[in-house]
Amino acid sequence: MDNLVYILFICLVAPMLLMLLLLRKRSRLLVGYMIIGIFVSLFVSELNTILLNLFDGDSLYVTTTITPISEEIVKAVPVLFYAIVFSDNRDRVMPIAFATGVGFGMFENVVILVQNIENVSVSWAVIRGFSTALMHAICTVTIGYGICFIKKKRKLFYCGTFALLAMACIYHGIFNMLVQSDYKYFGFVLPAVTYLPLLYRQYIYHNSNKKTEKV
Amino acid sequence: MNFYLIANIITCVCAFTGFVYGIVKFFRPRKAVYAQMITLAVGCMAFGRLYQVVRLLTGGSIIDEFQLGILGVIGSLMFFFSANFGAMDSLADDGSKQFLKYRLISLAAPVTLAVIYLAFILFGEASVLAKITGAVITVFAMQASYYNLKHLIFPDVDFGVIRCLKTYNLLALLYSLACVAEAVAISRSSETATFIICIITGLIVINIVPTAARGMKKWTI
Repeated sequence: MDNLVYILFICLVAPMLLMLLLLRKRSRLLVGYMIIGIFVSLFVSELNTILLNLFDGDSLYVTTTITPISEEIVKAVPVLFYAIVFSDNRDRVMPIAFATGVGFGMFENVVILVQNIENVSVSWAVIRGFSTALMHAICTVTIGYGICFIKKKRKLFYCGTFALLAMACIYHGIFNMLVQSDYKYFGFVLPAVTYLPLLYRQYIYHNSNKKTEKV
Repeated sequence: MNFYLIANIITCVCAFTGFVYGIVKFFRPRKAVYAQMITLAVGCMAFGRLYQVVRLLTGGSIIDEFQLGILGVIGSLMFFFSANFGAMDSLADDGSKQFLKYRLISLAAPVTLAVIYLAFILFGEASVLAKITGAVITVFAMQASYYNLKHLIFPDVDFGVIRCLKTYNLLALLYSLACVAEAVAISRSSETATFIICIITGLIVINIVPTAARGMKKWTI
């Protein structure tokens, strides 16, 4: 069963890598960071197994308290690398942070599917598909917002990014706790409730930019 | 009746109210990063409290074991520190000897918090976990409180930007104090004290963003 995760990883990543060679600029960056997100998810699935053993197999405690921290830190690393080496422009960093989160969430669903193959259904897929990937993307975007200050305002970057990381860990922890409790439907709705205001803000921001360009 | 649950619900509702107010007011293009950081500080508090509420509702504990709610407190204190240290301080303090007196007096806030921690948590009858979490909260509260007190007493002769934010800095200073006081109350398993402190914290966090907004309005006048 363990090998199945690696088999699915190759099946998912191989065509994406081939597609990457044909893409240019922004599209290549986004797909590239989605692949990185998938790879990070594979790494974290192994890391989580170690953490679970360290905490005597208490999966509820580990998933609601420990893994949110480890996952958010590992997910932020590629975004931080991009901001340091290439560009800390917000219009570039935020989409790649979102792509990393979506890639991570996608592959996490694959890992959970493999581990619970007998209990999964179409409704499970719909719920996890819309909630988990979105939750991971929102968390990485949150940290990405702080990372954007890395070259512009160093003082804000160090403290701000740490604080945003804390915020993302808590949000992740709330989600993990809700989906494993009797209030799981609140958990499934939580990412959408957070995503819609972001979408609205993005729409308003886009429109105001367009108006400015016209003027 | 679970006092911890009610206390956390009250603080969570107050913090979310302040957070939503800040989001609506400050998260637009060309608004001050300083204001956005204060909003995010309240947001951190709101999410931290929400985590604790959900944990208590799902049968978990917030006292006997490490939980992520503490990150909400740390995050909010980091934002308060970052807002003053990263965005504001250099506007008023040029590092000259002229203001050395104010820098030294400002040390009174972190020293007070450290003394509270040492007297009531470290040398008190608290568990190891309470001592560690108390220490972490106190360290972050110390650094935030230093700048809050400094900006409360600083003359700010050049631009006057900090002078407009005195009420905000007073509330932020009280918030740092409330965080350490709550750690003391939790370490002593005092439900009533925790409840009272949470209500005070709730009142502070619901007022902190509007107070900062009122202060910042004076910048343009």
